[in-house]
Amino acid sequence: MPSRSIDLPQGTLDLLILRTLALEPLHGWAVSERIQQISSDVLRVRQGSLYPALHRLERRGWIKARWGTSENNRKAKFYELTKAGWRQLEIEQNAWQKLTAAVSQILETA
Amino acid sequence: MLLHDLFFRLRSLMRHAATESELDHELRFHLERQIDKYVRSGMSEAEAARRTRLEFGGLDQVKDECREARGVSFVESLAQDLHYSARTLLHSPAFTACAVLTLALGIGANTAIFSVVNRVLLNPLPYPNPQQLLAARQNDSLPNIEYMQRQTNSFASSGGINVAPMDFTGNGEPMRVHGAYVDAGLFATLGVQPMLGRLISADEDVKGGPRNVVVSYPFWRDFLSSDPHVLGKAIRLSDETYTVIGVMPREFALPKELADVFLSLWAGYPDAAAERDVHFMHTYWRLKPGVPLAQAQAEIAQADHRLAEAFPDTERERGTVLIPLQESLVGDARPALLILFGAVGLVLLIACANFAMLLMARAVARQRELMIRASLGARSGRLIRQRLTESTLLALVGGAVGLTVAKAGTTLLLALKPAELRRLDTIPMDARVFVFVFAISMLTGLLFGLLPACSASRGDIAEALRENARTTATGVSRSPLRSFLVTAELALALILLTGAGLLIKGFLRLRSVDPGFSPEKVITMYLQLPGTRYPQIPLQTNFRRELLARINAFPAVEAAMITDLPLAGNYVGHRVVIDGQPTRAVGAEPQVQTLSVMGEYFGVMQIPIRTGRDFRALDREGQPRVAIVNETFVRQLLPGQNPIGTRIDWARSDEPHEWMTIIGVAGDVKHSGLNQPVDPAVYAPFSQNDEAWRKFMTLVIRTRVPIAGLVEDVKKQVWSLDSQIPVSGVQSMDDLLAVSVAQQRFNMFLLSSFAALSVALAGVGIYGMVAYRVNQRTHEIGVYMALGAQHRDVLRLVMKDGVELGLLGIVLGLAGSIALTRVMVSVLFEVKPTDPPTLICVALLLAAVAMLACYIPARRALSIHPMTALRRE
Repeated sequence: MPSRSIDLPQGTLDLLILRTLALEPLHGWAVSERIQQISSDVLRVRQGSLYPALHRLERRGWIKARWGTSENNRKAKFYELTKAGWRQLEIEQNAWQKLTAAVSQILETA
Repeated sequence: MLLHDLFFRLRSLMRHAATESELDHELRFHLERQIDKYVRSGMSEAEAARRTRLEFGGLDQVKDECREARGVSFVESLAQDLHYSARTLLHSPAFTACAVLTLALGIGANTAIFSVVNRVLLNPLPYPNPQQLLAARQNDSLPNIEYMQRQTNSFASSGGINVAPMDFTGNGEPMRVHGAYVDAGLFATLGVQPMLGRLISADEDVKGGPRNVVVSYPFWRDFLSSDPHVLGKAIRLSDETYTVIGVMPREFALPKELADVFLSLWAGYPDAAAERDVHFMHTYWRLKPGVPLAQAQAEIAQADHRLAEAFPDTERERGTVLIPLQESLVGDARPALLILFGAVGLVLLIACANFAMLLMARAVARQRELMIRASLGARSGRLIRQRLTESTLLALVGGAVGLTVAKAGTTLLLALKPAELRRLDTIPMDARVFVFVFAISMLTGLLFGLLPACSASRGDIAEALRENARTTATGVSRSPLRSFLVTAELALALILLTGAGLLIKGFLRLRSVDPGFSPEKVITMYLQLPGTRYPQIPLQTNFRRELLARINAFPAVEAAMITDLPLAGNYVGHRVVIDGQPTRAVGAEPQVQTLSVMGEYFGVMQIPIRTGRDFRALDREGQPRVAIVNETFVRQLLPGQNPIGTRIDWARSDEPHEWMTIIGVAGDVKHSGLNQPVDPAVYAPFSQNDEAWRKFMTLVIRTRVPIAGLVEDVKKQVWSLDSQIPVSGVQSMDDLLAVSVAQQRFNMFLLSSFAALSVALAGVGIYGMVAYRVNQRTHEIGVYMALGAQHRDVLRLVMKDGVELGLLGIVLGLAGSIALTRVMVSVLFEVKPTDPPTLICVALLLAAVAMLACYIPARRALSIHPMTALRRE
């Protein structure tokens, strides 16, 4: 598994977290699981870097946290998108799409 | 967004404990789930835990990153630093006490002076829109003020005031109060409102207007028993009845004058109100909004010109100068205060240099700890920040202690305040003072903490470590920063010492000036006869003669009287004509001091009669008029002439002249102040007085008996002659003399204190450096002595640096003094700022202090026993 996975490009973690949380409120561990599952284990989030990112996003007001009960009946901290977070997701998705389109265009034509 | 961020940070900070436990819980939850996941996939418990930890990274590191992401780390680490600093400082109480005391002295002295500067120079006047208020440098008369107000457009209003003593009677013992003769414009100009009733209106401020009076708050409180229904009541002032129409608010004060009651000049003293050529009123002007001073001044100059043309006889020499009121109030105090403020700033710099050296010595002493922290991975930025926290903490504590020093200092300043600062009744510690203390403390802590912190974080530690190693004897590195600080300290101290030396010399010169009379054992008091009961000169003369006879009948007492005392601040000036000299144009006759005396005035004051004779009892009314002039009169107006027998008269008195014959020449008296030139003066007997308005007199009594009892006896004699006459202004001639040099003494005392403080601090600085070096070189000295070095050689070795730096500092300080003391010209009396003897003296004094400061620690080096020194390694 480790050999197939690649590290996240700089700065994309925020986008992935926002996108993941857009589906439903999740706790931190679930966020990392979800990213790995959806990317078919290609993307690997270094688990230690997930939490500082979550706290940073919370401080910026894009996500908010509340304590809830996890699927295994434990107290866990759930994160969900705020209105500002939705707007930010929109902005970052657009930027990312522009970037990837431009990069692939270069790769194809050059 | 920004607000959210701030709120979030704050909340994290407030809920510190909760946030921490939440973070812990969140991460543990993650780890448990991950382990759980691996166990389910078939790993052993231990393997799962190992794998999870590996993937996750260091828990503490992640926590740290999270904290940083939440934005609390700066504040938290500051709190950590503060906690750490407080703990280490408490562990070294000697160092902490030295540092705090050094800074407290520097900051305290600065704060005390700043409080005065704040109160005197920075605080706005207690009137609305004070920047529009102007004062004329010259006094003027009411008709002229009205004329100028009509002729100009720049002013919203103007007002005049003259304060004269009045007698308040009908309330027990007759009281001397200050009566302010004003015009209706004065209150409008100052922009003040009464607390009760109303002010004097323009329509009653006319000839024959009603006798109405507005009283001050203290007068209302003390003499009218705070009567809320006082309006409409009658009070007796100088034998006239006035109706109280208003009470001023408690906080009201006139710009320069002290007054208890306010009355219309037209109502209270119509003769003076109509007089154009008696310029006796202070005038205040309020500019219309937006009018610049220059434009107003130009208009006033034109008005002056027109007045001079219209009344050439009396108004020819006009030249009204308007200055901002604030400036006119502060006057001479401003340069002195600014110089003191600059001087005390230098004291702070010296204190700061010592503070920096203390920090450096401490850094070297703590090098081991710092090295350990650095090698454990503390970044050097973090270490510097920690040390800055420590120095700033010290400085803030120093500032807080400094406030106490400042409080004591301001009390002392109030006790010493000179006449120029007489309005300075309190020196409040207002918000601005606190901001000032906080700002200089922070600045001191950061700036002077940064110097040694930076130098230590780079070179010094490594050097210090090397020095501590066995190779010490191969060479001791000098710290350039320390040498610089010591040199700078000595240079600054020398500058302050020079300033103090110049002021001391000036003050000694001033005190050695012969006032022209002998002040010892002379007591004075002031009386004024009510005009209603003593309208004519013979009545006045009888009263004076009788009173003087009664006082002179006391045992061991000699008494006389004069109109205006020397050094009391005022005199009446008249123009004179001299018989036999060519007639001068009207208004161009020489002006002289005019003093009336009765009794043996020259004898009592011990003013020598140089030639001719003193007045005699026979020189009285009905006899030929006589006068005594002073030496300056003779020198300026009768050069090369025998003054005795020369006849003089007041200019513009009615022809034919009733000549006064000069019968004697008295020694010069410094009437206007020891540092002021002597004006020509004419003394004439009260009994030959021709001006009925001279109803006032000052008793001068030379006595060998205790003063307190005598004053009461004199009062009894006055009241047995007339129970309605108040006696005021009781003071000794010695006091008057002391008051007249109070400003100079104030400057000298303060600057000398600062200089003493700075020399002490600089001495401690150089002492500290040499002591530190001796300590560092114990081993080297031990070897040196083991090799047979004499005491002299050892002394030379350890004192060399200190003495060299000291001399360098003194040379630089001399250069600095010559450059800087120039600003002191205005406060020096007959001393040049580059006075060579002063410079030489202070340089020698400081050199001696520096030598001593080097010698004391150097002597310790002599007691080093070679064996102990070698073993100490």
